[in-house]
Amino acid sequence: MDQSALATFAAIVTSIVVEAAPFLLLGSLLASILAVFVGDAALQRIGQRSLPVQICLGLFAGLLLPTCECGIVPVARKLLRKGVPAGAAIPFMLAAPVVNPISIASTYVAFQGDLSVVLLRIGMVLLPAATLGWVLGGVKPPELLRPSLNLAPSFPMSGGGGCGCNSGCGCGGQHAHEGSPPSLHARLAEVLRHTAHEFLDMGRFLILGACAAGLFKVFMPQGVLGLVSGNPVLAVAAMMLLAVVLSVCSEADAFVAASLSMFPRPALLAFLALGPMLDLKLIPAFLGVFQRRVALAVIVVPAVMIFIMAVSLGMYWGLA
Amino acid sequence: MSFLKRLREITSGLRELPSRLQDIVDGLTLLCLGGLLAALAQSPHYWYFLNPRFSTLTLASGVLLGLVGLVPLLRPRPGRTTIARLVRQAAVLGFLCLAAYAWEQAATAPFPGVFSAPDETQALFQPTGEAEPAAAPLVTKNGAEYTRLNLAELYIMLDKGRTDYPSRFAMRVQLSEEPALKKLGLGVLTRTAVVCCLADSMQLGFLAQGLERFDTKRSDTNGWLEIYGRLEPMDPAGEQALKAVAQGEGMSLKVVNPKFRVAVEAAEPIGPPPFPYLFEFREQPPFAW
Repeated sequence: MDQSALATFAAIVTSIVVEAAPFLLLGSLLASILAVFVGDAALQRIGQRSLPVQICLGLFAGLLLPTCECGIVPVARKLLRKGVPAGAAIPFMLAAPVVNPISIASTYVAFQGDLSVVLLRIGMVLLPAATLGWVLGGVKPPELLRPSLNLAPSFPMSGGGGCGCNSGCGCGGQHAHEGSPPSLHARLAEVLRHTAHEFLDMGRFLILGACAAGLFKVFMPQGVLGLVSGNPVLAVAAMMLLAVVLSVCSEADAFVAASLSMFPRPALLAFLALGPMLDLKLIPAFLGVFQRRVALAVIVVPAVMIFIMAVSLGMYWGLA
Repeated sequence: MSFLKRLREITSGLRELPSRLQDIVDGLTLLCLGGLLAALAQSPHYWYFLNPRFSTLTLASGVLLGLVGLVPLLRPRPGRTTIARLVRQAAVLGFLCLAAYAWEQAATAPFPGVFSAPDETQALFQPTGEAEPAAAPLVTKNGAEYTRLNLAELYIMLDKGRTDYPSRFAMRVQLSEEPALKKLGLGVLTRTAVVCCLADSMQLGFLAQGLERFDTKRSDTNGWLEIYGRLEPMDPAGEQALKAVAQGEGMSLKVVNPKFRVAVEAAEPIGPPPFPYLFEFREQPPFAW
């Protein structure tokens, strides 16, 4: 790598990490507040509902809990560890970056009020998210999550949850075990401590993903994109690859897609649907947080389903 | 007695220091990262990496990260040293080094796609990064009135199929003279647009005709021009010429409008704008220029 390439690589990695860090921090903070303040029982009640209801709750929770994909994995992991069933947590993780007010508004604005793009984007995200929720719905959290990453300490403050020291916490920290409930000050300190661990846990995946995206941007020949834009099937594949490689935030990707007007609409929809579910920031996080087979399912299923949906749309519109 | 008790506490604390070291390193790592974010948000080079409208968010995140890092730093808990913990600390430290290098490059050496001047003249073209006073929305040139707008604004309006774009417009652009196009009397006018960060940056462009009638070369402008012109539909020769446009390098995707080209009615060399990137896009007057 020559100096110019190294400078470009460093600039891209820096810009991605600096852009995503606030959202990762917000996700870590949210996960920590869940851990310290929200009782396990309240979240575990979701598990008493039927699987379709769990899936619907997960799919549309992003409307109340807006977050982009940069911070979604720690929140989903925390939800699973707090006893939220996979049938709700997995659809939430995959759908919330798109099915949230900010992302919906940015898509609407970028495509100049074209509601069909907004609805198709949401539909193309909901379907794979619901499918994975359905498939993984019966799987217990210990079978979903990798135990080796349970580094962030859990706290006995939320009531009824137990700290989990003896269940593979791994942090080695001295957890508070006193019987009396901790003060608000102590809880807030625990939120910050927990946020520190969560942020560092997930931050390494963000950095790894940003490095991969930087390498692709430095070495990917841009001419390839122009060559495939005329072929509807190849254009869908190319835009999906671009979505993964660029790792653009789900709240900004609509503006990038709108600028790539030489690509057919199904390819742009594939870009818009896949990017928030799968990119180079998320792949290392999925592989690090979930058991191998679950991570592969979370990576492969949305990609395949979105490809099929986008190509089918192209055929329906007479483009392919 | 209390002195002995205090001494015992201190020695006990020192004995536990190695086991608390991991928390201390975690705290220091987060403090450094928070410091970097806060300092970058305040620096005049922030725009090299992100749209300046995010600087407040970056600053707030830096401060919060520093606060978060203080807890394990000041109140470390004993904990095991695990590979995973070392890896995450190393990842952040590695990033800090990379970011420091990128920042140093931003401060001293221009990036590809932004400047193309030879090394010895680059120092002349370091943009200030400071906001400039608003320009008049209309400008008169050779008796005709032109609406000022930026290249991305025009591109976006065309992309959306709008027909109410200004019939005559003035834009600040960088001219990319490519030999294959120059033979056909064409040039490419470009600007790099950034919505959020460099990762989503796009080098937008238009083919331009009629530039050869004007003196576009001045050694101290690094290819920056203010052009006055109008749009005309791309003809078959232009479509053919598009294939000869060089691809963008490294940082940004390069997209040249395939349907319209700019008929240049006047052009004059100008100094580089404070921000070479375009961060603001309006779809009605007054445009961001």
